[in-house]
Amino acid sequence: MTENTETKKKKKSNSISDPRYACAVGATNSVVAIRRAVPIANCSPGCQLKTTAMLTFENGFQGVTFAGGGNMPSANSTENDVVFGGLKTLEALINSTLKIYDGDLFVVLTGCVGELIGDNVPDLVGRYRKAGYPIVYANAAGFKGNNIYGHEVVVDAIIDQFVGDYKGEKKKGLINLWFEVPYYNQNWRGDYQEIARILRGAGFEVNVLFGPENNGVEDWKRIPQAQFNLLVSPWVGLKNVEHLKEKYDQPFLHISEIPIGEEATSAFIRKVVDFAGIDKTQSEEFIKKESQIYYYYLEHFAEFFAEYWYGMPSEFAIAADSSYTLAYTKFLADQIGLIPRKVIITDNTPEKHRPEIEKLFHNLSEGVDVQVEFEEDGYLIEKAIDNTNFTSTKPIILGTSWEITLAQKKGALFFEVSTPSSETLIINRSFIGYKGALQFLEKIYSTSVGGR
Amino acid sequence: MRLGTIIGWEGNATELIRQSAYDIRSLKKHGECAAAGGGCKLCELPSPLNQETMCSNAIVQCQVGNLTDCVLIDHSPIGCSSENAKFNLSMHVGLSRRGKPLQNTMNISTNLKERDMVFGASDKLRNTIREAKERFDPKAIFIGMACATAIIGEDIDSIAEEMEPEVGVPVIPLHCEGFRSKHWSTGFDIAFHGVLRQIVDRHPKKKQKDLINIVALWGTDYFTDMLKPLGLRVNYLLDCASFDEIKQASEAVATATFCNTLGGYMATALEENFSVLQIDAPQPYGIKGTDEWLRAIAKVVGKEKEVEEFIESEHKRIEPKLKEFREYFKGKYGIVMTGSAYAHGLITVLAELGIGREAALVFHHDPIYDGAGKKQDTLKELVETYGEIPYYTVSKTRAFQLPQLLKRAKADFLIIRHPGLASVSGHLGFPTLAMGDEHIPVGYDGILRVGEILKGVLARTKFNQLLKRHVKLPYNDWWIKQDDPFLLSNHPEVLDDIAQKVKANY
Repeated sequence: MTENTETKKKKKSNSISDPRYACAVGATNSVVAIRRAVPIANCSPGCQLKTTAMLTFENGFQGVTFAGGGNMPSANSTENDVVFGGLKTLEALINSTLKIYDGDLFVVLTGCVGELIGDNVPDLVGRYRKAGYPIVYANAAGFKGNNIYGHEVVVDAIIDQFVGDYKGEKKKGLINLWFEVPYYNQNWRGDYQEIARILRGAGFEVNVLFGPENNGVEDWKRIPQAQFNLLVSPWVGLKNVEHLKEKYDQPFLHISEIPIGEEATSAFIRKVVDFAGIDKTQSEEFIKKESQIYYYYLEHFAEFFAEYWYGMPSEFAIAADSSYTLAYTKFLADQIGLIPRKVIITDNTPEKHRPEIEKLFHNLSEGVDVQVEFEEDGYLIEKAIDNTNFTSTKPIILGTSWEITLAQKKGALFFEVSTPSSETLIINRSFIGYKGALQFLEKIYSTSVGGR
Repeated sequence: MRLGTIIGWEGNATELIRQSAYDIRSLKKHGECAAAGGGCKLCELPSPLNQETMCSNAIVQCQVGNLTDCVLIDHSPIGCSSENAKFNLSMHVGLSRRGKPLQNTMNISTNLKERDMVFGASDKLRNTIREAKERFDPKAIFIGMACATAIIGEDIDSIAEEMEPEVGVPVIPLHCEGFRSKHWSTGFDIAFHGVLRQIVDRHPKKKQKDLINIVALWGTDYFTDMLKPLGLRVNYLLDCASFDEIKQASEAVATATFCNTLGGYMATALEENFSVLQIDAPQPYGIKGTDEWLRAIAKVVGKEKEVEEFIESEHKRIEPKLKEFREYFKGKYGIVMTGSAYAHGLITVLAELGIGREAALVFHHDPIYDGAGKKQDTLKELVETYGEIPYYTVSKTRAFQLPQLLKRAKADFLIIRHPGLASVSGHLGFPTLAMGDEHIPVGYDGILRVGEILKGVLARTKFNQLLKRHVKLPYNDWWIKQDDPFLLSNHPEVLDDIAQKVKANY
């Protein structure tokens, strides 16, 4: 606590070294995460290459699909647009995008330039919508917030301008899944699949809105039909589910912590089943089966854990976004007994959500009380980890590629879990739920085997 | 601002050479009288559809943001710094290639918010300059302008001047906002302009007669292998360089580069202001290009005799291997898609390897380089030495044109630099080589290095054929069936139906 306050006092400006997130206009990548949706980037040249580089490339080299990356339409605003207005350029861009792209939904995201020069983009996009084109508009200027902020803006924009009004029935057992930020949370594809698998196993029909199991705009259209919205995140998406509650009179269940390991995942399932009020037979049967498999593997792992002669980490430091920091710290501290020495949330969590999140870290496990810190400036994050007194010889740092040199300096083991990650290739990976927990253990302890 | 640069053009290479009228421009640049009017007009084909691309601000970050002891401040919202992690990776790789110790980039963003857009952000910049000094104790501090700060009118020049005495090191403003130039390579000129004004020693007390500046990026140090026989040491600029290495650029005997697009501004300024000779020769690619480049350098250092011996022995050395490659690649075709002058170098190497070249794409075309040297007309040199390129396209990172570009010309593989296009070409069934280490094709050995790598690239063909069958591009069948990559530019009326539908419903 004292260290934290000292750092804050020293801080003179809100400048940031070694950034760990992109800006709002990077939420084009949330659009890419919806099957057959096309982002239209109304911003300067460079904006998309930069933000997409951080979220999809230097973040496990995830790559993109469909209209992402090099295929993404972008206004690439010029000085002419700045002086005379950029609507003509945007109009030509929308026309040609609609002409040659085979998309079901088009999302125009306006960056700094369009918002500063005051182009009336909502009006222009509205004309296309009126003509029957499935196109929406989002104000995603970089100075408004980071890519998480942009993600929430895009979700609301699609709900309001594309999904629209609904007065029909709700379907019992159908859940809208609101979860990690696509691409930004580096394991998101695998994580969405594991959470969906668990919820389906428990007897739910799951409306997956992003990623490999999303069916495209039809899933978005059926959002209002769901019995409730399930939000699994400390704070990201709260704005969206609150909006849905108001718009469709649709309740939400907010679970802050992504479950990892048998205990947390089984408790998670029971919580959701209780909230939904569906029959428990299937979910209990599923829990039983999954637990049996989980402990089958854990028993094997326990041999390494007990018998490995050559040392393994007993302490860790973590610097990641709020979702992963909370979930990973809880699992490692509570289930494995790795001691958290420094825990830093780097996603610029809004002030109003911080006290609640701090409380969660005070109750991670019996005898484990963590004072979480919130810091987005890489210089201060690295300094805080550098100043951490590890008592063991081989602690592990869970962080980003900015910490590689620091880990080397401290002789610590190192494992990338957050944006940016340029030492890791991620295709289909998940560290959550029943299956992911075991993969997580593999990765954590693989850093320490082989004489490291 | 590279005002003469174009980013859209279609035709054959010979026609572009004619329209570019390099010779006339060269005469004008050198203050001589040229034919009046007409000759200098080079028309650009505009496109209503553009796609993800790069900007000058990013180039500045990958230049002065990759120095070992200087700081770059991005005076911008945080998004403009989101490629920093990538440049940090480049820096790590570059340092290891040059045998320097590993370190992170030194960067700070002023992280501007909405209220800064309204009230201005000059105090934030001042504080960040102080913080840069305190955090990194750098030898110089650069300030990069961004779109947002340029529009709200941040006066980075005055603030830099005001803060310099306080922090005691050069504070260098760089006007690299993305919207200002249509091509990212302007960022190179801006970065060089900054270091030339405020770091390069203006009054060099001595001349280092064995030092040659090589304007480069993060490439492997192959230039030493080529220049050591001439008694020269290489001073790489700018990536991975230190303040002192940049400072001594004015003491060098000459400046050369692997790419005239990149190095022209720096080399010209060093020549004009400090009499550091710019090597006026073809780029060092292929046998003829490398011969002439080496001869031009040897002349500067008075090693004409030695260079002839070196050239002869090098020719002999690579001959057997080159013969093997020419046999291996018989009947193969390749397409190069990179920045302009570098593309000319790569195409040269393909020609040496006996690989066919029906098409090429450059992201931009500069009708003339800053040096305006008579022997620096890289496109003309290419066509005169190795023959016509029937489909020569200028187009800045427009992946949507790939289906058309790739169906009209023979290709077994593509060589691409800059992100975006390679993966899309891969989806269309073509194995691609991302030429990340830009020095690979340089010199005699460069031909062999490329040959070796291309064997590996061709081995991946099946992977790409598999992708082609299973991955759907985001473009509709109507577009895929078209033959003209510039259809939307040449026939804007195809968009009328959409415009009319919108108008009718308004």
